[in-house]
Amino acid sequence: MSEYPIKVVVGKPGLDGHDRGAKVVARSLVEAGMEVVYLGLRQTPESIVAAAIDEDADVIGLSVLSGAHMTHFKRVRALMEEKGIGDRLLTGGGIIPTKDQETLSELGVGKLFGPGDDPGAIVDYIRDWIKTHPRKEAV
Amino acid sequence: MAQPKTLTEAQTPTREAEYTTVSGREVNQVYTEQDVDPKDLHENLPLPGEYPYTRGIHPTMYRGKLWTMRQFAGMGTAEQTNERFKFLLARGQTGLSTAFDNPTLYGWDSDHVYSEGEVGKTGVAVDSLRDMERLFDSIPLDKVSTSMTINAPAAWIFTMFLANAEKRGIPFSKLRGTLQNDILKEYIAQKEWIFPPEPHLRIITDLFKFCADHVPQWNTISISGYHIREAGATAAQELAFTLQDGFTYVEHAIEAGLDVDEFAPRLSFFFNSHLDFFEEIAKLRAARRIWARHMKERYGAKNPKSWLCRFHVQTAGCSLTAQQPEVNIVRTALEALAGVLGGCQSLHTNSMDEALALPSDKAVEIALRTQQVIAFESGVANVADPLGGSYFVERLTRDIEDEAEDYFAQIEKMGGMVKAIERGFPQQELTRSAYEYQRALSENRKTMVGVNDFVNEDEPLTIPILEIDESVEPNQIASVKRLKESRDNVAVKDCLDKLEKAARTKENLIPHMLDCSRAYATEGEITEALIKVFGEFREQSFF
Amino acid sequence: MLKAAKVAHIQPTQDRNRGVALTSALWDSFLSGNRQACARLITKVENDPSSIPEVREKLAGRIGKAVRIGITGPPGVGKSTLSSEVALGLANRGHKVGVIAVDPTSPFTGGAFMGDRIRMEKFVGDDRIYMRSLASRDGHGGLSPATPHVADVVEGFGRDRILIETVGVGQAELDVLNCTDLVILVLQPSTGDAIQSLKAGIIEIADLIVVNKSDLPGTDTVLQSLRFVYSLGGPNSRPAPPILPVSCQRGEGIQELLEEIEKLSSTLIESGRHQELRQKRLKSEIREAIQECLWKRYLEAGDAESGIERTANELVQSGGSPYGYVREACAQIELKLKKEA
Repeated sequence: MSEYPIKVVVGKPGLDGHDRGAKVVARSLVEAGMEVVYLGLRQTPESIVAAAIDEDADVIGLSVLSGAHMTHFKRVRALMEEKGIGDRLLTGGGIIPTKDQETLSELGVGKLFGPGDDPGAIVDYIRDWIKTHPRKEAV
Repeated sequence: MAQPKTLTEAQTPTREAEYTTVSGREVNQVYTEQDVDPKDLHENLPLPGEYPYTRGIHPTMYRGKLWTMRQFAGMGTAEQTNERFKFLLARGQTGLSTAFDNPTLYGWDSDHVYSEGEVGKTGVAVDSLRDMERLFDSIPLDKVSTSMTINAPAAWIFTMFLANAEKRGIPFSKLRGTLQNDILKEYIAQKEWIFPPEPHLRIITDLFKFCADHVPQWNTISISGYHIREAGATAAQELAFTLQDGFTYVEHAIEAGLDVDEFAPRLSFFFNSHLDFFEEIAKLRAARRIWARHMKERYGAKNPKSWLCRFHVQTAGCSLTAQQPEVNIVRTALEALAGVLGGCQSLHTNSMDEALALPSDKAVEIALRTQQVIAFESGVANVADPLGGSYFVERLTRDIEDEAEDYFAQIEKMGGMVKAIERGFPQQELTRSAYEYQRALSENRKTMVGVNDFVNEDEPLTIPILEIDESVEPNQIASVKRLKESRDNVAVKDCLDKLEKAARTKENLIPHMLDCSRAYATEGEITEALIKVFGEFREQSFF
Repeated sequence: MLKAAKVAHIQPTQDRNRGVALTSALWDSFLSGNRQACARLITKVENDPSSIPEVREKLAGRIGKAVRIGITGPPGVGKSTLSSEVALGLANRGHKVGVIAVDPTSPFTGGAFMGDRIRMEKFVGDDRIYMRSLASRDGHGGLSPATPHVADVVEGFGRDRILIETVGVGQAELDVLNCTDLVILVLQPSTGDAIQSLKAGIIEIADLIVVNKSDLPGTDTVLQSLRFVYSLGGPNSRPAPPILPVSCQRGEGIQELLEEIEKLSSTLIESGRHQELRQKRLKSEIREAIQECLWKRYLEAGDAESGIERTANELVQSGGSPYGYVREACAQIELKLKKEA
């Protein structure tokens, strides 16, 4: 079994332009040895999932501070299932109330992070998740 | 820098390895006369109301008029926001400040495909004059000054505001308020643009001219550092990039043929007030001094009103924590105090729950009361620039001013701010500062109470959180559809065509936008007409 | 009581439970045009060099016709934007396009920041364009060593034009020369001497030069300087390549660029040079693979690595020459071969 760097796609869906957090986290992931494909702003669920497929990413990270997280996370999660990459990790962060995080968790979205969370915690979470979730080879 | 050498200093251990401000600037243990240029205690420190205004823009400062207590508000529908406006005015707020939702900020209608999930979430949804009418229902626009925080589509949203005033019989000359309308900081920090820079600058200049002629009491722009700071900049970067943006607007308007004294008195600014108390005060004092100097000596403005750096301050959103949110009340209070001691003309205090959601009624009331305690109980408003003459504050003011001047020189070398933005200079500076600050937090060199120190494990959230009703979006979409069916669509098309035609020439576009607004054209329709001429801007991301 | 915060651990992340198995299901999927299968195959080839022989066998007959176009130049000139315009333009002219964008791996952390897709969301759902970002890994800041193999997979996926975009630092230019048929050098107008700042030899390798952001001042200066540089060449130097101004922001010069690319590609194929270059690359590939194989065999001789280590340590002290050791090591290899014969 070969060992390769973890590959993460990071993007901001919708209209929210506040990318300070996304950039800081992306950089932290790179410093932790991951290969980060940064998609930037104004992404759609389609563009994010297409990127994850073509880049064979292990993780999709979304950043949403606009209150539209339920719409965006749900859409991306559903699209991941539909396109056959439901076995990858969907995580992210922003301004997401605990109640909503729980609802999203039930739909298969991973742990979400918010203001005050240390980027190191995101790194650890991704590493642990990858260790315990092998890919399914259904192609 | 002379440091007192006493026995006790050698014997007393020091708590930290280094003592720096939030921006990373080192500060001395104590400041004496030796640490300040004598000029900064004398010639450069005239009375408030005297050039270069280090100590304030009015001789009487807050004795003459308190700062405007202006809480940013907006959520859901126009009706809901109208209620919040009335709530705040009833509790002693003295000016309105409107927050719009993302689709409105980006120039799209609520029924646009990009708007899905976003309607009403970060502010009020305004699609047309109809929403504007509801938004300001029963608000005396000739008595209350109104600020609108919107940038890329600011001009045409403003014409909806004007059309509303017109319908209510309020003459434009009586309208007071501010339009944020600052596109340059969008490219740097907030990222809410539509077109490339040149068309936006042209529209901004059109607005300067239109208001000079027709809406003389209106502040046509609020040149902003707040967002630049929130995106991670240091205090000096915030100051430098904001003022440099200001210079760019001035130069652009002068090149378009306007006389500087015609529009400069109505330029205003918007700064952040962050946690490092004295650094923020110094920054605000430096802002006044720098702006006055450049306006008088570099741009040759003759009207003293053109030399004034008038500004609104908002306490730092990025300093708020989601953990132990009540503690945010304390942070906001300190930041607000710094804003006042820095001589602001208008102030917004954040609510304690804003790291989690839009403010609840209770939280925004406390935020407003914070300002009222400062104004009426603390005594701070009784004396102008009380910290003037302090060795530390004057030294800090000078240091920040010098750092800003260094940035100006660098940016001039790049060919000006627009060029600097195109090559990503300010964006890269603030991204780096943001990362360094996060590293400092991760490594415990900087503290965030409740987050990396004094943490309460597993604390449940006990304050009420505002939720936007899910029915807002479908209702707003239905409302837009109804509007499009009930208005005179021939007239709308006619106005939009005229606007598009005019956009291809050098005509002032504001009267055309006003015609469109009167006819109930939607914001998105105006945006699309202009995109046909100006194109859409694609960002090159900078790190 | 101060509570210690979690500090992000800075160590390379090398564990990931996602080995790719080269099953017949994967191949069927790949050959039928499934993008996920292509992505998985690229991952395999990128991360497991031992799989390359098997992959190449399976790709036999599907490789050899595509034109591989390198896009290089200093950082910040707008290569990404240009690549996306070229990709779209070529697709509109009936080609199936692959884009491989290489970004440097941090030598300290092993991670890489890859931002080339930012321009690409307009291609979502467009089957004519396939894009992949690669980190340079051990490629000394230039191309990833896997790049030519990834290009093979992408060609096997049915792409007849493959753009290989590099960051233009380290050895990137030379690397790109060795795995492409055409090299486009991208520059931009700027104050100062754009030409002087280029590393020696870069200008010579370009088949086409683009002066991007031509809407900015200084374009004419750069165009003139470039033409001047080429005019200095003696009888043996190559003729000046086409030098084109382009403004992606204004949409100017792009059609001319595409026509030039198409022209160069056709000439390449018709003149037989395309085959020549391919042959050269195959020769290199075979040579390198055999070297790799020989090295592996040498290593099998017990204490090969530790012997080198030990010798180097001794030489540091003694100041002597390493070639005595080398001669002995080579002699050992001959012995081995003779034994087997």
